[in-house]
Amino acid sequence: MASSPLIAIVCSDRHRNGKTMLARVLVDFLLLEGRDPYCLDLSHPEGALRAFFPGRTALVDFAQVSGQMKVFDTILAGPGRDYVIDLPAQDLARFCEVTGGLDFRKAAHEAGFRIAVLFVIDAGEDSLKTAAAVEDILLPDIFVPVANRFVGSALPDGVPGPVLTMEKLDPDLHAITSNRRFSFRTFLMGEESGVPLRLRSNLKNVLQSLMAGMREFEPALSLQTLREQDLSQP
Amino acid sequence: MKPVLILVGADKGGVGKTTVSRILLDYFARKNILTRAFDTENPRGSLKRFYPSSTEIIDLENVAHQMKVLDTLETANVPVTLVDLKAGGLSYALDVFERIGVLDAARSGMFTMGLFHIVGPSIASLDEIGEIAKYLAGVDYIVARNFINETNFFEWDEEITRKYFSNIPTALEVDIPKLNEMAYEQVDVAGVTFKDFIDNRTAEGQPGKFSFVLRGYVKKWCSEIDEEFSKVQLLQDILTGGRAPAPVPPKPMRK
Repeated sequence: MASSPLIAIVCSDRHRNGKTMLARVLVDFLLLEGRDPYCLDLSHPEGALRAFFPGRTALVDFAQVSGQMKVFDTILAGPGRDYVIDLPAQDLARFCEVTGGLDFRKAAHEAGFRIAVLFVIDAGEDSLKTAAAVEDILLPDIFVPVANRFVGSALPDGVPGPVLTMEKLDPDLHAITSNRRFSFRTFLMGEESGVPLRLRSNLKNVLQSLMAGMREFEPALSLQTLREQDLSQP
Repeated sequence: MKPVLILVGADKGGVGKTTVSRILLDYFARKNILTRAFDTENPRGSLKRFYPSSTEIIDLENVAHQMKVLDTLETANVPVTLVDLKAGGLSYALDVFERIGVLDAARSGMFTMGLFHIVGPSIASLDEIGEIAKYLAGVDYIVARNFINETNFFEWDEEITRKYFSNIPTALEVDIPKLNEMAYEQVDVAGVTFKDFIDNRTAEGQPGKFSFVLRGYVKKWCSEIDEEFSKVQLLQDILTGGRAPAPVPPKPMRK
């Protein structure tokens, strides 16, 4: 991972296509890397992500100004650690509008953050268009399209740069991993007893494939930094 | 450049006169235009709380105080003088200014005079416009509808409004856009100017701890105000160096 702290925005234009699972894996990946991420769960009032990381997650109603303060003021007041924002589809447009209007990108860069957007591209072609629009508005340091094999994705093959692929998860695994006591991190650290033997390799494959993609963030971000430095040279 | 005298007033109370005065002073500060202000809410002016160094509290009924404002327009070396008239003071001020020749001086080009008339949604505000119309020749008259607190102007029937404005063809309407109430409250509590709030600076000039989000809301609101003010010729003239003084009439030749 990049050495400078990261603000990772996990989003999509559609519901129920694996955003929260992806956010969970990302948080666990960061923890396994020895980092200390803090989560901002915008799925108010459900708190899907908070259920898994109650000690390191703030639940936010982004429709309220106080919720927007909870997101941006929390991040800027606490630089030096990573933040994972789980952004539900219904708040995507508002989030883009507010973030752009506040010029949050500039403030985040000044505070030493890099910004990553992980966008789950759904099956429809319009999801691709929305992803492109979100990238244009948020102007992240790294934009990561995500294809979920379980729901299908309009993402074409051969897209340059880091791409995440969520391989199909056995339906039985859905039930097991949806339990709020289940942790991907502890599973990967060897605590496998909660998963039937026949399903373990499937879960490992899914997680390892995602985390392998996440390991590519750092080189991509470093490359981006070099490009920016190169561009700023006279 | 001719000095500029801007009056901000309304006969109705609670329509946001001081807020609009603050908005104007802030606008000029953002555009690097020096201003001085007089707060007629004697003895305790709320404008002075936000602009302590450039605001003086006066009693407009006091002749010495009238002199303090009017006789120093040219000598103050500040291009813009703003007077925040207390509630109910608009008609009175215009009447006094008419009687003592201030309005005539403005009409003859000695200085530029503007009036920001803050109106509320009630029909009483339209009546006010009718009442002061007789004073407005030679004055840049701006009717400011204050939406800062999300006021609804539904009471303003279009036909009635047109009738009132037909007497004042040069009147210009501007809308003061709504500002998020939490942001407005925070600026108010901090007792700072909108500009200082955006710049995250306390009234003492120290780095502040104001919310990034609320600062963003205020910044966005200020840009909306800039857009609205871009249609006010008086303000645009001030930004571009002001209007030229009236030509001095040639002395008659002695025979």
